[in-house]
Amino acid sequence: MIKTWDLDPNFKYEIMKEPGGEHLTSCFQCSTCTLGCPLTEIIPSYNPRKIIQMSLFGMRSEVLSNPDLWVCLICQTCTARCPQDVRIADLLGAIRRIAEREEEAGKLKIESPRPRFDKAFEHQLAKYGRLYDMGLAMEYYKVKEGSFFKGMMAMSKDYKKFGMRLFKKGKMGVKSMLPEKVKDRGVMKKIFEQMGERR
Amino acid sequence: MSMKYAYYPGCPSGTTAMEQDISMRAVFENLGIELVEVEDWNCCGALEVEDPELVYALNARNLAIVEKEGLNIVTPCSICYYNLSRSNNALKGDEELRARVRSIDDSLAYNGGVEVKHVLDVLANDIGIEELRVRIKKKVKAKVAPYYGCYIGRPPETAFDDPDAPGLMDGLIEVIGGEVVAFNYTKTKCCGGPLMMTVQDVAYKMARNVLESAKNAGADCIALACPLCGMMLDAKQEDIEEFFGIKIGMPVLYITQLVGLALGIEPDKLGLNKNVVDTKEIIGKVM
Ligand code: SF4
Ligand code: SF4
Repeated sequence: MIKTWDLDPNFKYEIMKEPGGEHLTSCFQCSTCTLGCPLTEIIPSYNPRKIIQMSLFGMRSEVLSNPDLWVCLICQTCTARCPQDVRIADLLGAIRRIAEREEEAGKLKIESPRPRFDKAFEHQLAKYGRLYDMGLAMEYYKVKEGSFFKGMMAMSKDYKKFGMRLFKKGKMGVKSMLPEKVKDRGVMKKIFEQMGERR
Repeated sequence: MSMKYAYYPGCPSGTTAMEQDISMRAVFENLGIELVEVEDWNCCGALEVEDPELVYALNARNLAIVEKEGLNIVTPCSICYYNLSRSNNALKGDEELRARVRSIDDSLAYNGGVEVKHVLDVLANDIGIEELRVRIKKKVKAKVAPYYGCYIGRPPETAFDDPDAPGLMDGLIEVIGGEVVAFNYTKTKCCGGPLMMTVQDVAYKMARNVLESAKNAGADCIALACPLCGMMLDAKQEDIEEFFGIKIGMPVLYITQLVGLALGIEPDKLGLNKNVVDTKEIIGKVM
């Protein structure tokens, strides 16, 4: 049941201000997005159409705390099929960024580790300009598990066999232990400082 | 052929997808097309950098470097293609955005003079099936499941193939003497890769679906054109088998490796010893 007194009539404008969220109000609820989404075969309750409807209603806290936000694959199937050009995959990204800022402000706790993973990834780029797999895995596991030691334990458990497999094929030699770096790293830092999350 | 492209290898080119990089360079060299690696390229942002404007700024640097060379850019990675291409569209179409990006640093000054291409598009359209037919020296007599995944037929503004029934890879497989198996329902389904580190069981279920569909269709191997798909379907295949207690044993090859075999390039020069699931059976079908 919708609690009308909890609705936030400005939520849709908040989303539409976020890059990727602009087309929210074009949705006419046909559900083409949900019906074609590959995730629904695995998670039957997954429903991007409903997230859009709740956003339009202004159910801000329900939407921002919805765990389904964090399983979207960004596969763009919904975007390709939507008759109203709502750009659902980008829109869900816009909502995820609002949720992340809400968490940073201490107003929301996101259970999914995905924001932690994305942040760890961004840190590699800001530092090196290229993806450093080892650095990413180490930072992600540390944050996810709560300490460096626990992180290393969990990582070696998850990745022992996988790592060996790559090592045998010469894909995890000394070269992949060290980060590849762009020469002009100052500009990477500047891009992340000046362009990312300015709002 | 006197063609020349700026080459954007992408981050996995030195590690998990080195066979894609090796085979891409070998195939283009064989065809007499020059690849000039983008000088000091940076990561495209992959799927983890979620702020679109941040993605545009990151790629403005790559595009500006290529623009100075006066070349168009080709990449073998579907995700790099998606990010480079959507950044290119956004920057070309928005003067205010270009100015804002440029104000961060002079090295981000991009004027919109570059075209971004995926290797599949270059092979099937720029070089062309008919030209390849002339160049082919051998037949790869394998049954192949062409796996397109995401960002080839969608989203619409960067797509270069049909969203529902893409065919560029099918065309390449036919010209090298392979047989395309019935795989339409699965060929554009996501491999689950984006969830590999955060929702592993869902990612594994999606990858299993792709692998088993190919197997049920009678494929000898899967052909693909994205390092994340390669990681999921090839490097993680054993983990997926173990997770579900099943046996799949499906070789997974980059399309450039298959085309390279038909061009008569030695398997090792195509990195076929680097794929995790053994590729000998496929090499054995080259005649
Ligand atoms: S396909 Fe588009 S218009 Fe239809 S419900 Fe989904 S977002 Fe709305
Ligand atoms: S982008 Fe997300 S919501 Fe859209 S079809 Fe893919 S997984 Fe489903």
